[in-house]
Amino acid sequence: MLVDVGLRLAWRNLWRHWRRTWLTVGAMIFSNGLLIFAMSLQFGSYDMMIDNSLHAYSGHLQLQHPRYLDEPKMRYALDNVAAIAERLRRELSLDSISARAAGFALASSEERSYGLQIVGVDPVHEPLVSTLPGLVKQGRYLKPGAAGEIVIGAVLARNLKISVGDELTFLGSGFDDSFAAGIVTVVGIFESGMADLDRALAQVELGYFQDVFAMQDRGHSLIVRARNIDDVESLQAQVKALLESNQDISLRHWEELQPGLRQAIQADMASNSFMYVVLVVLVAFSVLNTQLMSVLERTREFGTMMALGLQPARLSRLVMLETALMTALGLVLGIAVGLVVNLYLSRVGFSYPGMDEVALKFNLPERIYPAISLASMTLGPAAVAIGSLLAALYPALRLYLLTPIEAMRAV
Amino acid sequence: MTRLFSQFKTILTLSWRNLWRNHRRTGIMLGAISVGVWAMIFMTALMRGMVDDMLNQGISNLPGHIQIQHPEFLDDPSVVNSIDEPRGDLLAALENNGVRVWANRIKVPAVIMSERESRGINLIGIEPVSEADISGVPARISKGRFLESNQDKGLVIGAKLAERLETRLGKRVVITSQDPDNNLAERGFRVIGIYRAELAAQEESNVYAARGTLQDLLKIEGRVSQIVLVDDDYRNVESLYRRVAAATPAGLEVKPWYEIDTYLAVMFNMMDGFVLIWVIIIFLALSFGLVNTLVMAIFERVREIGLIQALGMRPGLIVYQILLESLMLLLIGLIVGNMLALVTIKPLEDGLDVSVVAEGMAMMGAGSVIYPSLTLYDVVLANVVVILLGILTSILPAWRASRLDPVRALNTH
Amino acid sequence: MSSIRCRQLCKTFKQGDEIITGLDHVDIDIEEGEFVCLSGPSGSGKTTLLNAIGGLDTPDSGEIHMGDIRIDRLERGPLADMRLHHIGFVFQSYNLIPVLSARENVEFVMQVQGVPAAQRSRKSLEILREVGLEGMENRRPAQLSGGQQQRVAVARAIVTHPDLVLADEPTANLDSVAASHLMDLFVELNQHHRITFVIATHDKRVMSYARRLIKMQDGKIISDEPQ
Repeated sequence: MLVDVGLRLAWRNLWRHWRRTWLTVGAMIFSNGLLIFAMSLQFGSYDMMIDNSLHAYSGHLQLQHPRYLDEPKMRYALDNVAAIAERLRRELSLDSISARAAGFALASSEERSYGLQIVGVDPVHEPLVSTLPGLVKQGRYLKPGAAGEIVIGAVLARNLKISVGDELTFLGSGFDDSFAAGIVTVVGIFESGMADLDRALAQVELGYFQDVFAMQDRGHSLIVRARNIDDVESLQAQVKALLESNQDISLRHWEELQPGLRQAIQADMASNSFMYVVLVVLVAFSVLNTQLMSVLERTREFGTMMALGLQPARLSRLVMLETALMTALGLVLGIAVGLVVNLYLSRVGFSYPGMDEVALKFNLPERIYPAISLASMTLGPAAVAIGSLLAALYPALRLYLLTPIEAMRAV
Repeated sequence: MTRLFSQFKTILTLSWRNLWRNHRRTGIMLGAISVGVWAMIFMTALMRGMVDDMLNQGISNLPGHIQIQHPEFLDDPSVVNSIDEPRGDLLAALENNGVRVWANRIKVPAVIMSERESRGINLIGIEPVSEADISGVPARISKGRFLESNQDKGLVIGAKLAERLETRLGKRVVITSQDPDNNLAERGFRVIGIYRAELAAQEESNVYAARGTLQDLLKIEGRVSQIVLVDDDYRNVESLYRRVAAATPAGLEVKPWYEIDTYLAVMFNMMDGFVLIWVIIIFLALSFGLVNTLVMAIFERVREIGLIQALGMRPGLIVYQILLESLMLLLIGLIVGNMLALVTIKPLEDGLDVSVVAEGMAMMGAGSVIYPSLTLYDVVLANVVVILLGILTSILPAWRASRLDPVRALNTH
Repeated sequence: MSSIRCRQLCKTFKQGDEIITGLDHVDIDIEEGEFVCLSGPSGSGKTTLLNAIGGLDTPDSGEIHMGDIRIDRLERGPLADMRLHHIGFVFQSYNLIPVLSARENVEFVMQVQGVPAAQRSRKSLEILREVGLEGMENRRPAQLSGGQQQRVAVARAIVTHPDLVLADEPTANLDSVAASHLMDLFVELNQHHRITFVIATHDKRVMSYARRLIKMQDGKIISDEPQ
């Protein structure tokens, strides 16, 4: 039997029961469309979660003292951070690298006192690694070389009952356990929408921080932001190569910096995968049902064909070919449906009642947009296709048990 | 009456026997329905369990089902926004109105200093008798003891905070906060207990002292930050809320948990929606197979359907017969699916360990062990949706069968 | 109510592009208790006429009266009721319900009519004995021979004592012994229970039993004579 003839035969067989075929293909289209829709939104929201979380503050990569990640204490600092930052920027020809130093302090206004995280930053490069400087809603961000200026989060400003132009005193302990204190003027108030940052973070100029906290030229981290999330791995390799000689600096990937983010994604993926698998299994049942019925009702016909000298393998192949045609139809139409839904959603975005609250928790915007990628468009349909073909194996292989005489006697 | 009963018996026999005529097809369809129903209930129980955990943790972190406080306190948790301890009508309402647990609490921002490190924390003044029912911290003491009286001089801190401060049980730490007149209030405490919490953030930020001790320290005799109430079930606090609100003097704010933490409220409300959508999606995936099975079953029996029409069975009865067949299929599938769900959820009663993604779960506000929660509501919902929509999708094929032309049907091969 | 009057019955079918005449202005009267044979080559309109009288098929034009009722105007539901209570069918290919046993097949119509179980059971056993199927009551159709199946079908058609039995080639699948048994049974029922029989056939043996023979061709009655 030529492939061409087999194909034509398979195609015609499919339409002997057009209702049954369409119902089975319909199940595939429904599942494919749903899988594409769900996966695209899922990947889209992960991308946004990662982007928003990392761009806000932590960056894609950080250089730190080896012990700083587990014990973020003042004494686990890097020497000469500004020089390392300068060298990295030059060697990598990447501007978005910035040094930070951080400490804890008790900040007091006229009326109130609050504990806060005070961070020394490089005002020139900080805006390139973090979106926070751009989120200053009142006043302005820090200026280079401006000692005695501070920007603070909106909630903190409200709790301290201060606004732009007011003075703030802070008290902490320095690198050498000395007393560290300063009086600063609030020049800006930022509002990121992320509770942790808005409630307990303040930034001052790095040089000023180093003076007050007796850090000399030290700092706690170098923040690296890649041009694109996909570049992170190659950038990591480059930085690693540059630092090879230095055992005192650890390079941290964002997954180490924000393990919660990665694990939240993993947990979400696990629960979604369960749902996807269930859908695929249900489609497989549909295909199994259809193909088994179609084989059983053709027992007589198959018996005749075998009596004419056809090998069971040929008949099995015919059944698999029919399934493949059905699957292909479901695949193409399902992807088309998924694409239309995705294109529509990528224009208007997707949201559901109450999503704004959830979105806030996971650093997401109020509408999410699907990520239309090869993976999100084909992973689901591919799983459905594989599930369908596997389900058709049973009816196809059953044909090997058929003997022509008995088969022809069948009703 | 006898006629109806007799007709019902007839179609019952026909339906049941026809169902098993093609046992392979029926078996496959039953498999699909069972797996679908199992997935509906199993997944829902896991999600419910996770959301219950989030809500319980979230509520015990607030804490309480209902809070009474200064209207500014939630926005500005400062000692300035304190209120008087309850008296008069409010006290009477709290004491006599079947409130399961209530307590005064103080909550102020403070700085804790060990010999090596300092940190910003929430300093919480509690009444030890009722704390077990409110935040559950007394049950999670890993070293030392919990506070014992309202005047206890000790301090209970989280394990993570102890690590950050490089301090340990029995050591002294210094707490600094401010009194209502903006003077520094400072005092040394001995760490008498260390607790563990599901969420690292809690361990790191919540520090517990006795209510009376903190009133002395902060110079707020007779005043507290909040009055916290716990009812029997957080799902049902409406009536208590109304009674307490009525007894609360003007100028104070009474809020149920779902108004205090809107994220928790959204999770709580969204869950029902999620369950319904999940059940319907699974049903839709099943419906193609269901319709397929019916269409094929009818297709094979066209001649017989023509025959029973010729013998004088009314078209309506034919519709019922096919619907009954579909109903039987659905019911058997539901029974198997429900049992599968029970059997698979039972071994997970002691919790499903998801600690590999513990920090991710923490980010969502849940613990690292999921305890599946099988609720009657969800089980009934899944079963009712499958039966109702199942019958609904069967109506068209059944109706088409009843409209077959008997002469043509009888002449089909 | 069992006298039948048909006036100017016409019925055409489409088969592919061709239009086939089933009935061409047929007039016929059948009185209560008659034993009528319709004969003619296949395609002459016998089955079409039978189906029209039985209310299985509606004519394009013309009238069919059964007693006082014009059955060509009835809705599907009342038509089904009329078949249920007044007409019995016997088909060429038996047409038993395969999932029901012989006895259940016979009881089927009574069950739908709502006859009490005890009465149903008594009647069905009685009639099965009468058609010679004692001891085979609980067999399913697949376990019976062609002749036995046809006897079950006849039992089913007559057990409710209908006014009219319509039989379409009832002997086509039977050997001559089984065929003459069946016809003896029909004659006996006709004489003892005054059931009207209309039998479409081209079997000469069957025609010899008829007391009135109607010959059809191309949808028309070409002769109508008592025997």
